[in-house]
Amino acid sequence: MPKTILEVIDLKKHFIHRRGLLSSFKEHRQSIPAVDGASFYLKENETLGLVGESGCGKTTIGRTILRLEKPTSGKIIFEGKDITNIATGELGQLRSQMQMIFQDLDAALNPKMHVRDILSEAITVHHRISDAEVDRRIGDLLEQVKLKRSKLSSFPHELSGGEKRRVGVARVLSVGAKFIVADEPTSALDVSIQAQVVNLLRDLQKQLGLSYLFISHDLRVVELISHKVAVMYLGKIVEMGLSDRIANKPGHPYTHILWSSLVEKQSRETGQKAKSIQVGRWGVFDFERPTAGCRFAPRCPVYDSKGRPTLCIDPVTEPQLRDIGEAHQVACHFPL
Amino acid sequence: MKQYLQMPGEISEFSELPFWKKADAVDLVYVGYGLLIVALVVVSYILGCFNLLPHDPQEIDLQLMMAAPGTAGRLLGTDFMGRDMLSRLIVGIQAYFLPGLLAILIALCLGTGLGVLAGYRGEKFETGITYFTNLVDSFPRLVLILLVIAAFKPDIYYIMLVVGLTNVPVVASLIKGKIQFLKQKNFIEADIALGLPTRIIILKHILWHHCRSLLIIQATLGMAEAILMETSLSYLGFGVQEPTPSWGNMVQAGANYFMQGKFWPSTAPALAILFTILGFHLLGDGLNHILEGKRSA
Amino acid sequence: MTTVPILKIEDLRTYFYSRSKQAFIRSVDGVSLEIAKGETLGVVGESGSGKTITALSILGLISARPGVISGRIGFQSDRIQKNLLQDLGDFVNLTARDGKIMEVTKDVAGWERNAERIMSQVRGKEIAMTFQNPKSSFSPFTSVGKQITEAIRLHTPKKTELEVKECAITWLDRVKIDSPRLRFDNYPYGLSGGMCQRAMIAMALASEPSFLIADEPTTGLDATIQSKIVDLLMELKSELGITAMLISHDISVISRLSDRVAVMYGGTVFEYGPAKDILSTGFESKHPYTSALLASIPSTKNIKEKGYLQVIEGDVLDTINIPEGCRFYGRCNRVTESIRERCARHEPDLRETESGHKMRCWLYFD
Repeated sequence: MPKTILEVIDLKKHFIHRRGLLSSFKEHRQSIPAVDGASFYLKENETLGLVGESGCGKTTIGRTILRLEKPTSGKIIFEGKDITNIATGELGQLRSQMQMIFQDLDAALNPKMHVRDILSEAITVHHRISDAEVDRRIGDLLEQVKLKRSKLSSFPHELSGGEKRRVGVARVLSVGAKFIVADEPTSALDVSIQAQVVNLLRDLQKQLGLSYLFISHDLRVVELISHKVAVMYLGKIVEMGLSDRIANKPGHPYTHILWSSLVEKQSRETGQKAKSIQVGRWGVFDFERPTAGCRFAPRCPVYDSKGRPTLCIDPVTEPQLRDIGEAHQVACHFPL
Repeated sequence: MKQYLQMPGEISEFSELPFWKKADAVDLVYVGYGLLIVALVVVSYILGCFNLLPHDPQEIDLQLMMAAPGTAGRLLGTDFMGRDMLSRLIVGIQAYFLPGLLAILIALCLGTGLGVLAGYRGEKFETGITYFTNLVDSFPRLVLILLVIAAFKPDIYYIMLVVGLTNVPVVASLIKGKIQFLKQKNFIEADIALGLPTRIIILKHILWHHCRSLLIIQATLGMAEAILMETSLSYLGFGVQEPTPSWGNMVQAGANYFMQGKFWPSTAPALAILFTILGFHLLGDGLNHILEGKRSA
Repeated sequence: MTTVPILKIEDLRTYFYSRSKQAFIRSVDGVSLEIAKGETLGVVGESGSGKTITALSILGLISARPGVISGRIGFQSDRIQKNLLQDLGDFVNLTARDGKIMEVTKDVAGWERNAERIMSQVRGKEIAMTFQNPKSSFSPFTSVGKQITEAIRLHTPKKTELEVKECAITWLDRVKIDSPRLRFDNYPYGLSGGMCQRAMIAMALASEPSFLIADEPTTGLDATIQSKIVDLLMELKSELGITAMLISHDISVISRLSDRVAVMYGGTVFEYGPAKDILSTGFESKHPYTSALLASIPSTKNIKEKGYLQVIEGDVLDTINIPEGCRFYGRCNRVTESIRERCARHEPDLRETESGHKMRCWLYFD
């Protein structure tokens, strides 16, 4: 029975919107609830896909879990240990177990360092090892990520997008990561290279028993690679379940709209339009004056079609994630 | 008509040209000249320390007053008291060399420290340090120096201390800016995520790899400024006093004879000042362009 | 196609010189395309394929050196007819060795003057372009509305302030921007990515051009917004009958909007023909690159079986090091023994294999 490697309970991360000179010292500040109460768990060797539009908080969740941001409230339990509030100094060894692949291909690559230096630095972060051993480990890493040896003496700007991505993955593996937050790992890459990276990540999961939090806006790839999928909207998880249920029998109206906007489903090829819901004129969610209750209501066609019931926008009855069977949870009063 | 030629054969896999091919010829000339000046200054300083001078800088020879260069073995002639110009010029370097280094050291160390604090820790530190540096920046430097001279004594080291302190804001804001730039590129975050200890992130990744050229350039400009400051003050009578030679007071002393048509006693040290400061400035400018790809205004 | 094409590109070459590598980056290396009136040509390709540079070459927007060095771009609209690269040969001298251009001498300033003379009548007025990164393609200092009115004033006979403003607002409404009268005064930073893209389309079409080039109109936008932009473009296409060249690396967008498709790789066109054939999964005679590209996108079958994606081995061609022979040779998985020699040594030319379908592949030439 694979054990749970990560548990997140009611995690909140609010950003303070700075206004004025002395705002760091003032009590009264505007806060932006980037992540507003997310809960889920992840087992060993499992991939949880996290989807949503830009600004919904998916990257922030990833960074908060890795303690790159301090959580405002909630709990993060990694490998049985509560890491929500421990000092960054104490994170120590634990840090090497949970790593991040950044959306920006250049993020982890210091442009003034050779690939060899980048990798050997990562290998020697926690252990003092002999040069020969470092060489051997580098060789292993290169094989694992399928990177040519000749690239060791290159600088990052001499590498192609796919190669940069592989070096980033190698760096993360070299510290011994067990849990990886992959933030848009394929976005900046060409289609044919994306396929290579996706296959690579799956291979590594099989070989090394890794767990992924796979954040992406590419719904097809998420569907392919994830066991479970969580859909986020404006800081809240609105639906969570097994990946094929989410894709084919979504419960939340937002999920349905997301998946039906996959242009392919409406291509001339298949000849039929997927059962598409008409989305009305778009209201925009303003963090400065948040609407009460369900955040999706201003854009929700179901809300509209049901005659705008106050149930949806009353803050007291804000929809929470409810189990609707088969490990499928939806935060909606009128699930599809 | 522009010509573009590709040679047949293998194309190099690497895109790093050695810097002498990448840089503009102008910058190479600047840097070459600057390095020459630096070498001359350092060598002269050492000679001065060990008193390895062609003649005694204080030796008065009334027979040889204001001789032209080359007379009686005085390579650069003599001043209005018959003292050997070359030896005096060499010794004059003592007046600004160490003090200048002091100024640079203060500016760079304090500036880097504050810059790193402001950039890396951000938030309150940044606000506080920015206010502080703005404050220091708004002080007129010369007024501060004169205050120090009046309050204490016209010691060149005290003066250079002030010069160094007043340069801290510039260095601090450059370093802070660089760190904020790196933060945007997710560098620092990726390093933290990897588990690299803070001191390595700051010392190696930020300072060594990204800031060293910046600091070298600030050092050259700082030295140029120190020289200017020292010579100006000595010219005005506030710095080094006669008979100890300083390029500034040499110009001052020789000025009386300028009107009489005897140009050399004040022109020689003035030219020395000019060429030396120019050397440091051009070195800084050239390095700035080669290493950082910017032209200063 | 019996009608005269609006745009006919013949053997276009745009090279850039890399000082650090002392070699040419052959971004566009012999591209030939045709677009008929009323037709939408989709140009698909990955990074380095040269599709954006082709578009910029058409409009004379290449500033890096040496830039466009050879070719002919015939443009024929209702109002004018000319070769956009007229007299290019007078300003450029090429020397080739072993069939590869190794030396270029170009009077850059002279060509720029000449090009300006030709293009000033064409840019915006006859050929309009929308760019990737809509937010940064607008000037951040002026309101969006003002920028559109500026375009209208320049390129259409409308003159009075009122006329021009009304025209701009009509177009903003046509591209489905809500509250167009209010949005008219918005600055680019105040608009979302999707809205900026629509505004740019409005600006391009308000000048009433004969031909529109859209470079990656959906890239960088959220999934839901992408499909809305595609819907918009479909509507505009049927309403206005615009002739367009649509550049994208997103095959689903191209398949929905294009009549014909050109698949580009490494600076050349590999395949060219009707979209419904080339991009469908059924069609048999496809270029190996095209079929491999389509196969590497997760399909419903892949996803259901959670299988591995079919991958094209190796890296996308870097247009500095162009190999002998076919540009796809190292990565192609359909090479047979009988043609291996040819694939490795000789680059195939673009030949018509079926009516209206051109290919650059030895597999289909016998």
